[in-house]
Amino acid sequence: MMQQALPYKSSCLTLTPRVHHVSSSNSSLLYVKGSKDELKNVVKDNAVIVVGQRGCCMSHVVKRLLQCLGANPAIYEIEEQDENEVVDELENIIGGDGRKETERLQLPAVFVGGELFGGLDRIMAAHITGELSPVLKKAGALWL
Amino acid sequence: MNMSSPSTQFAPARMGIFEPFHHMSMWEDTFRGEIMPNAGAMVTPPNDRADDKSGYTSSEQLIPSGSEDNQAGKSISDKVQRRLAQNREAARKSRMRKKAYVQQLEKSNLKLAQLEMELERARQQGLYIFGSNGNAGISSTINPGIAAFEMDYSLWVEEQQKKNVELRNILQSHVSEMELQLLVETVLNHYYNLFRMKADAAKADVFYLMSGMWRTSVERFFLWIGGFKPSELINVVMPQLEPLSDQQIVKICSLRHCCQQAEDALTQGMDKLQQNLAQNILTMTTGMGSYSSQMVSSMEKLEALESFVNQADHLRHQTLQQMSLILTTRQSARGLLAFGEYLQRLRALSSLWAARPREPT
Repeated sequence: MMQQALPYKSSCLTLTPRVHHVSSSNSSLLYVKGSKDELKNVVKDNAVIVVGQRGCCMSHVVKRLLQCLGANPAIYEIEEQDENEVVDELENIIGGDGRKETERLQLPAVFVGGELFGGLDRIMAAHITGELSPVLKKAGALWL
Repeated sequence: MNMSSPSTQFAPARMGIFEPFHHMSMWEDTFRGEIMPNAGAMVTPPNDRADDKSGYTSSEQLIPSGSEDNQAGKSISDKVQRRLAQNREAARKSRMRKKAYVQQLEKSNLKLAQLEMELERARQQGLYIFGSNGNAGISSTINPGIAAFEMDYSLWVEEQQKKNVELRNILQSHVSEMELQLLVETVLNHYYNLFRMKADAAKADVFYLMSGMWRTSVERFFLWIGGFKPSELINVVMPQLEPLSDQQIVKICSLRHCCQQAEDALTQGMDKLQQNLAQNILTMTTGMGSYSSQMVSSMEKLEALESFVNQADHLRHQTLQQMSLILTTRQSARGLLAFGEYLQRLRALSSLWAARPREPT
């Protein structure tokens, strides 16, 4: 029996973002809602989370691939008009650790264990080389 | 000029070149029928006049049948002389016209034979440039990005075939590890170059790339998001790599599994794109303002196709790279040769299919 991945480390949070479960064919995706200010916590508190535009097909590809591996990623969907704001906030969260100034963060973006992992390119490459699974396992995102 | 028997006139070009006299006699029969419908019994049949092939034999027609003998014999003879001269002149002009016409026909026949030969040659070489595959040849020449890509791709194929020959030769001879490694890297880079070319072409016209119009028909049958399926590459190549160590087998199977997962994810992403686009188009309202903005949003969705092609090529690149890491240099060379030959056979099959005899409709 496949267990539900619990999205929060503790139940007593000052902020309580609305969470609803959406059932798709095989598994349920955890849609995380929250305002921009709550984003930091949302990112930190989920083992693996995909931040992407609502209806974006590339986000869908990332989601499906992570699910293939046995992860149940949290999904943070944004509207097109909020993209700039959200990306700014995410870049603040990441800070200046090792990323070039000129590269603006692109969506969809995947965070594993609270840290930015990368976009679709990075996910694909890591998957093929076999480094993605161990990273997910280490962050507690896999239940295998 | 209305020919009553055109079908044999324009028989296959090859026959046309070698049988001009056959055509001339056919022409002659019909010509006679057209020009002199009222010739009737007065016309001498051609057998009797072997020296004149024009068929214009009406000099007898103009001899007055009536009772004009009592006119001064001299004037009659003058009239007759003049008429005869006119007839000869008309006959001569007619012969010249016929000669010119036949010459033009023979020239056209030659041209037709030449074109057929060129077409056959092009098909056999498996090169499908500028619409010889029957698709939108016109649009590819209008879009300069695509026209450039088509030219570059045909050069790429030529180069790939040369590389195949090099691989075959080097595997049969004893060369240093370094030389072999160098060739393997060159061939891999050749594939990576193709992905770069495709990225540019995708910016020019992603639908052209996705449809596979730039590839031969059988290759198109196997097309997945604008190119080969990475897991298919592994399947094609694996039998040629033996003997493989157990560890290698495990790694390759794992790589193949990863490819399939990535391919499924991308395919599902494409399906989602289709759904979104269909939804968008269905829910378009008829108000003028919202129609154009909804069209714009649909166009933005279509832009995602470029990302899909790029991601698929990225996956192909990664797969090739990983394989070369798992395999020894010699195995990599064998694998690349096997894949190159596989693609060549697909192209050859396409040419044969295109040239197969069809039943007359």
